[in-house]
Amino acid sequence: MLALLPQLLVSGIAIGMLYALIALSMTILYRATTVVNFGHGDLVMVAAYLLTIFAVNATLPFVPALLLSVAVLFAFGFLLHRAFIWPIIRGPHLSLAMMAIAVGYSVRGLVRLEYGQEAVRMPRPFAEKIFFVNNVVITLDEIAFCVVVLVMLVASYVVFSKTRFGRIVQAMFQTQRGASLVGINVMQYNNVIWGVGCALGALGGVLLGLILILDPDVGAWTLLRGFAAMTLGGFGSLHGAVVGGLLIGVLEKVLGTYVSTAFIDITCYLVIIVVLLIRPRGLFGQHATLRV
Amino acid sequence: MSKFDSRLRAALVAFLVAALPAAGAQERGVTDTSIKIGALGPFTGKAALFNPLNYGSIAYMRYVNDMGGVWGRKFDIVLGDSACAEAKGIAAAKKLIFDDQAFMILGNPCSGVAMAIKPTLIQENVVWSGVSANPRIDGSVGSGGDGPPPKYMFHTTPNGYFSGLTMGKFMMTKPGAKRIAFVAHTNDWARGYCDPAKEYIEANGGEVVLDTAMERGSTDATAQVLQIKAQNVDGILGCLYQPELVVLLKDAHKYQLGVPVIGALGADFGQTVQQVGNPDAVNGVFFQGHLYKDKIGAPSLEWARQILVKYLTKDELPSDGEPTHFYYFGMFNGIGVVEGFRRAGRELTRDTYIKAVETLNDFDTNLGAGRVTITADQHIGVSNMFFNGLDEKGNEVIFTAYGKPLH
Repeated sequence: MLALLPQLLVSGIAIGMLYALIALSMTILYRATTVVNFGHGDLVMVAAYLLTIFAVNATLPFVPALLLSVAVLFAFGFLLHRAFIWPIIRGPHLSLAMMAIAVGYSVRGLVRLEYGQEAVRMPRPFAEKIFFVNNVVITLDEIAFCVVVLVMLVASYVVFSKTRFGRIVQAMFQTQRGASLVGINVMQYNNVIWGVGCALGALGGVLLGLILILDPDVGAWTLLRGFAAMTLGGFGSLHGAVVGGLLIGVLEKVLGTYVSTAFIDITCYLVIIVVLLIRPRGLFGQHATLRV
Repeated sequence: MSKFDSRLRAALVAFLVAALPAAGAQERGVTDTSIKIGALGPFTGKAALFNPLNYGSIAYMRYVNDMGGVWGRKFDIVLGDSACAEAKGIAAAKKLIFDDQAFMILGNPCSGVAMAIKPTLIQENVVWSGVSANPRIDGSVGSGGDGPPPKYMFHTTPNGYFSGLTMGKFMMTKPGAKRIAFVAHTNDWARGYCDPAKEYIEANGGEVVLDTAMERGSTDATAQVLQIKAQNVDGILGCLYQPELVVLLKDAHKYQLGVPVIGALGADFGQTVQQVGNPDAVNGVFFQGHLYKDKIGAPSLEWARQILVKYLTKDELPSDGEPTHFYYFGMFNGIGVVEGFRRAGRELTRDTYIKAVETLNDFDTNLGAGRVTITADQHIGVSNMFFNGLDEKGNEVIFTAYGKPLH
């Protein structure tokens, strides 16, 4: 059975990349408003459906359909923050979490109205392909996951560490009141960051659509993995989100194969429990007030 | 008046007094012109992909209505949405029984819901004809149960016990098949298929070398497939619903297992193939029990397709308008149920109905691979079926045994 380990590591890292992208997008939202968007999984799911609508119903080629989906999710994130989160931003943390959940569930219900009776297969930009490296299987989809996530990670690092925009976001993450006192339009910046977070989530949704049949509940699966990765990596840490995603991907595969397949579904919960008990900051988390 | 006449008159009066209440009592859900049918199924929610199992029966009943009904009565069909969830299913069934006064509950995919409403059905003596698989619903000795069948509950189609048994039989017709792996959900539905299959395999020289779990909602089967690969098996039985069966087939191909995968009836064959989306992952690999006498789309089944297309609305059919296997499955049930009404005659009560159903003996639905036989001791109508698969070119082929095409 040990001979399976290289395969489990490769498959775990590949799926972990997807978790990492979801966690990364949730972390970006968190850095703006220190709110965990518990409706994020549903927005990820919507992106894959939107791409399918643009590519199949509107017969757009894959890339324009992808760009349009990402743009729609950016606009949705922008408006979601402006219309639903910002008006209650000073309210109890629970209200913000409930608002995020309510929006997510509403979106899921709307998708179910149209697609509740049938599972949908998202169009693919390339044919499925399998490669062998010393008996280890790797698919073209998995390579795509790795490339997209690494590019997004580098882009996020550059934007959030090397640009004026990133420094402003960091200032808002430290203290929103302080940021507004020095003249930063906090609301407008937060609108944009929610847009960016949702757009990144959209990319995750499209990658997800490559390996899964779409159904309106797929978002819940996404949210749990993303949240667990974020918890493990540390709230607010971009590279922590990626490391967390990779670790959860590998843990799921290894425990699921060597211990019991039941661990595939409970690994993310176990990670959340253990991390919150032993190291609530996660691996790379910063001290900041968590608003959930 | 003679003594005899007065005795006769007294007896007549006594008879009339005794008979009056009975004549006045109306069987629940039955009027002079209609029979109320409660179609219970997941019309919303993530299990809504099973509702064609209801719509197939509904289409056939609408067709019968169009032909004039049965003994002067037409079917008045009321939908009850179970969403495939026990609590919602109980509420929907109670509404159908107590508010709508349905004579019969029909369809009821989702074994969990069927088991949850079974006590109410028995208490209220409601007739039930379902397609849910769990053998504990209405199986008896010899069909997965451990006693006589519930009086008013029956299947005109196979239940999970017979479906699982035929899966095991089919697997063991593969030349040299010895080492078999199971991948199953951890619920009664899946065990209803896998346990009888295991019994058959082990009784016929095979061995179940791995019985691994795959939970509902799983999106990856790497662990299961690699476990199977390490066991060097001759075939896999997937006691899984459609979404997870698709995942298993995709990962079995990804990791180059190269052995047949036999699916349970919780998946629609055509939709599964479509959703896997890769011919190499299904051609010559994926097989599933096939309830019908030929492949869907064959000229001999065109009459059924015409009924489905004509009597279902656009919203009740798939988006491409073409009925999938589950619609025919539902129609199979509808045909058996309607035949029961034909045999029961004009004097319809639940007792005359179930007695009529129990006269179905080698009944040919003109749709099914197996004929329907229901007796007082055995309420599962069909115990055998063909198998469906794809040849190396992706053409659908019906098999009577592994490697033996019907035509």
